[in-house]
Amino acid sequence: MLAPEMEPNFLRPGHAACPGCGLATGMKLVFQAMGPRTIAVIVPSCEGSIGGVYPITAYGVSTFHSAFEIAAPTAAGIANALKIQGNNDIQVVAFAGDGGTYDIGLQSLSGATKNNEDIIYVCLDNEAYMNTGIQVSSATPSFAWTGTTPKGNPRRKKNIMEIMAAHHNPYSATASIGFPLDLQQKIKKAKSIRGTKFIHMLVPCPTGWRTSSDLAPELSILAVETNVFPLYEIENGTKYTINHQPRRLPVQEYLMKQGRFKHLSEEQIRQIQNEVDEEWNRIQQRL
Amino acid sequence: MAAGKSKEPVIPISYGSTELIETGKWSSRKPQALRMIPPCQEACPAGTDISLFVRLVEQGRHKEALATILIENPFPGVCGRVCFHPCEAGCNRAHYDESVSIQTLERFVAGLRHGKLPLLQPAATNDPRRVGIVGSGPAGLSCAYFLALLGHRPTVFEAKDDPGGVMRGGIPEFRLPKPVLKREIRRVLALPVELRTGCRVGRDITFDELGRFDAIFLSPGAELNALLSVDGENLAGVWHGGEFLEKINSGKSVSLGTETLVVGGGNTAMDVSRSALRLGSKVTVAYRRTKEAMPAIPDEIREAEEEGIQFKFLIQPSSIRRKDNGRLEVVFQKMQLSSPDEMGRPKVVPVQGEHLSIETDSLISAVGELVDISWVPEKLVDSGLIDPGSAPAVFAGGDASRQSRTIVNAIASAKKAAISMDLYFRGIHDREALSKIGIGNQGSLSMAAYLQTRENGTWPEVKGVVSYQKIKTLYFEKSRRVKTRKLGHGKRQRTFSEVNLSPDAEKALLSASRCYSCGACNACFNCYYFCPEGVISVDAEQCTRTVDFAHCKGCGVCAAACPRNAIEMKDLS
Amino acid sequence: MKDFMSGNDGVAHAVKLCRTPLIAAYPITPQTSIYERLSSWEASGQLKGIMMRTESEHSAMASCIGASLTGVRTFTATSSQGLALMHEMLHFAAGCRLPIVMANVNRIISAPWGFWADHLDSLSQRDTGWIQFYVENGQEALDTVIQAYRIAEQVYLPVMICLDAFFVSHFVEPLDIPEQEPVDAFLPPLNLPHRLDVDKPGFLVPVVSSENYRHYKHSAQMGMNSVKEIALSVDREFKSKFGRGYGILESILLDDADVVVVTTGSMTSTARLAIAKMREEGKRIGLLKLRMFRPFPVEALQIALAGKKRIVVIDRNFSVGGGGIFCQELKSALIHSSDHPLIFSYIAGIGGTDVTPETIRKIAIEVLEKSEPADEPQWIMSE
Repeated sequence: MLAPEMEPNFLRPGHAACPGCGLATGMKLVFQAMGPRTIAVIVPSCEGSIGGVYPITAYGVSTFHSAFEIAAPTAAGIANALKIQGNNDIQVVAFAGDGGTYDIGLQSLSGATKNNEDIIYVCLDNEAYMNTGIQVSSATPSFAWTGTTPKGNPRRKKNIMEIMAAHHNPYSATASIGFPLDLQQKIKKAKSIRGTKFIHMLVPCPTGWRTSSDLAPELSILAVETNVFPLYEIENGTKYTINHQPRRLPVQEYLMKQGRFKHLSEEQIRQIQNEVDEEWNRIQQRL
Repeated sequence: MAAGKSKEPVIPISYGSTELIETGKWSSRKPQALRMIPPCQEACPAGTDISLFVRLVEQGRHKEALATILIENPFPGVCGRVCFHPCEAGCNRAHYDESVSIQTLERFVAGLRHGKLPLLQPAATNDPRRVGIVGSGPAGLSCAYFLALLGHRPTVFEAKDDPGGVMRGGIPEFRLPKPVLKREIRRVLALPVELRTGCRVGRDITFDELGRFDAIFLSPGAELNALLSVDGENLAGVWHGGEFLEKINSGKSVSLGTETLVVGGGNTAMDVSRSALRLGSKVTVAYRRTKEAMPAIPDEIREAEEEGIQFKFLIQPSSIRRKDNGRLEVVFQKMQLSSPDEMGRPKVVPVQGEHLSIETDSLISAVGELVDISWVPEKLVDSGLIDPGSAPAVFAGGDASRQSRTIVNAIASAKKAAISMDLYFRGIHDREALSKIGIGNQGSLSMAAYLQTRENGTWPEVKGVVSYQKIKTLYFEKSRRVKTRKLGHGKRQRTFSEVNLSPDAEKALLSASRCYSCGACNACFNCYYFCPEGVISVDAEQCTRTVDFAHCKGCGVCAAACPRNAIEMKDLS
Repeated sequence: MKDFMSGNDGVAHAVKLCRTPLIAAYPITPQTSIYERLSSWEASGQLKGIMMRTESEHSAMASCIGASLTGVRTFTATSSQGLALMHEMLHFAAGCRLPIVMANVNRIISAPWGFWADHLDSLSQRDTGWIQFYVENGQEALDTVIQAYRIAEQVYLPVMICLDAFFVSHFVEPLDIPEQEPVDAFLPPLNLPHRLDVDKPGFLVPVVSSENYRHYKHSAQMGMNSVKEIALSVDREFKSKFGRGYGILESILLDDADVVVVTTGSMTSTARLAIAKMREEGKRIGLLKLRMFRPFPVEALQIALAGKKRIVVIDRNFSVGGGGIFCQELKSALIHSSDHPLIFSYIAGIGGTDVTPETIRKIAIEVLEKSEPADEPQWIMSE
């Protein structure tokens, strides 16, 4: 393996994330790829807790803690102000969770995207409202246990990539912390494009997914290799590119490692497999 | 009060760092570096640190890669061509897709330019001893090499005019070109090793004269050809494999005629048959057992088949006679499988009354080699040729000792003898000493560990071997072994040019990158990337990791994500 | 330069004169012509900057917050429902101490639906920490925008300029548009000390302890307090440079008044007429126009109303279950007055209903004749 450069770390240790937090790994990787000439917007969520209590913080770049549902327009305001000031080498990255993207933040994200605001928007998807306990969001997958769906989530996960594609924004991509080089490369590619760039990042949460603290990277890889979370890019809403040919392992291998799925019946697992296959076929048709 | 009067901003802005908070206190579990033995190193009789040299190839540190091999094996160019590569059979990757091309990589490293010799410096010792070595084959030269590395003064007595033993006389050019062998031997002789060719013990020097040495290593090799013990064995046109190869390998030609029969199923038989083919003969190999029972390396059998050599199984020669047309007629007894012998090999017994007659121009028998011990004192022969209690201490190795007859085993036996001699010289009678520098459970020894022990007095901690179950295959994409080039079929049949060609640097890198590096960090940076706290830094050159324990929460991600079992979580409370 | 234009147009001209480079807005009747005017100037290049056409008012304010925190002058405009939608962001903007200027066209707030003048929308936001001005006419709207930036960029608090739906926003009259040069001289470039700075990376507006929250909110209150003085001095300077001044409140014929009518917004123009007529009749009625509502000008009010015995506040708003909001605040300001004035509360113009000079006269006479105010405010239910 060719050794990469040891990059400076803009997510300082000492933060309050749970041990083994996939989201912390994700943010760390994104910040490394963004570099110091960055302004970040974060929202109330696990990112907020990681941010720290005044006067110390884990964030090593200029960061603004905005309100929950407006990561995108806040970042857009900053980006436009920078443009007005002639600060063309400073980039803006907005982080929001799945709740802040799929649910309460969807409208404002759509608004910023339809205006093609020059921001990188990263959705840190741990598939539920985790900072407030473990509550269902529209990113929670089928049948998953959460505190507000104790019998399992009866609804299917919303397809945020398709929603973004409908805006014909220049660049959207999925990313998984299990593929750190692909993730960082996508951030760097996003930096080089003008307009709204959307990164849908899977960040396993050992606490909320009911697994041991050491499993986030493995689950991030299994999600991709079972096709539950394929790695692909969409340019201008129409050009699809698969970044990694999955091994097409059965979804069971991914599900069985998580306590939030341990109550699943055979029928439910089959249904999940069907959903996954159907989604993969749909992407294939778009290639 | 208007804003902006005092220096403090009117809104809260955090400038301090969370590094002030020692989240390391959340858990007493912390990652520890683990260095374990990969199965390839255990399987290699020479105990070569394979994962290290392969990693050095990947990093482009070729000189260090060669030095890594040379400390355990002085003949990487030879083994990289003719070894039966038990390392590849043991390779964990073989369970996943295909084993790593370790042999090809060893050969690649051996072939690189490396500047001044010797590459390894002899250890300093205040008590250098003189050791006499009989035979300059792989065992003899290796023993001299290792003794020189330990700081002693070996003298090698070679009966023939040139050193090399079976490497020179037994292995054909198309498997081991002479320039390669010359280069390998030059490396050994660059150390303080005295070589006396044309000096046969028993003829030019007596055994007792060897008594002036502090210790003796007997590695005369198996020079004598086993006989077929059939009528007509001494007819013209009937050759013994060893003598045939000796002649070919010294550059002389042999006329075999249109058809040649080769009797035997071992490596010698394969070398003989492929050489005969190149002399223009149509070759058929006759073996008394089945193909599965052939002791030859499967690679060699396959090469022979590829070259168009025919095989006939379950036939054993019973007589040879000359026909009127001048050709030989060989009568074979047909054999059949019977219940297994004590080694588990199925026995073969004659099929009563069934014979097969084959007409041929030449017949070469390759049914085994024997050691000539006519010159060895009887009491030594009785004790199995090893008597470390005598003065001088006598050791034996190579084909002359009880072990598998392969080059790498010869080298291993030489290393064991050299270390045993050194322990004897130092007055260390620790029965456990050798096991303390052992690699795994199959008897391989680490010279590197022994040299380190001599220097700092401490013995290395014995480590376990990494099984396939411990490898996290999820982190590896499936891939095939990198194909290397071979000589064209036409050339193979007409010339003695080397058949398997060396890989270029790019192919070597690709091959090396397939190595799992079982049990040893190879700076894949997984732990660095996946750590949620960002507290792991990796030294890519040294392949070591530093962890900031003050902020490590003990989550275990690094250990779980290490694909090669090089990190374990320990409770340090 | 004088030209015929609506109050909305006046606001737009003022924003352009202030060289505001970042505007984020969302259309809502009757604010739309501000948005459209600025959009067409941005499209033609007359307004140098970026117009963010957001998908909601909440996002418009969020964008202004982001841009302002980066150190750039910003503007937005809205009304009624839009302002209500922005509520969370209004608190946030003030809490971030940002000099954002916003024009709010006062329109009734649903339900039921309607579009006409009513002050409840902006008054519902009185606790958010924004400075609030209520303007009487288009000229005052234009001038107040310019003054607002000067005030905001000194105290680092946002300013809301409230103008009545249709009565001010759409009423066309000759307005004087100042020249660019004196406005440039009046408004130095914005310097925001607590802005986002990549060279000095910090985490802005994190979670704070209870004690720290209290500290920062107290400090915001201190900032608010200083606005009273600052607004007056800015207005004085504006008057000397541009010839027009408004003060934070205006006293009209108060000296010998038996009754003081207190109004705000466009109703004040009507009241001026009514009071003039009553004076002709020999009735000693005075008028107090309240211009600045936040911070509430307690001291100025106490001084202006010293010695006055009868005061009537006419609110074009009503806090259901409470009362007219201007009246409540005024009562609170005068509670320790040694004059013990009788304060009467009237509710008029709710829902954009017309307030004629006759209505004002009727209220003034009633108050003159009543012995004491009722507990409940009096609603004017017919024209």
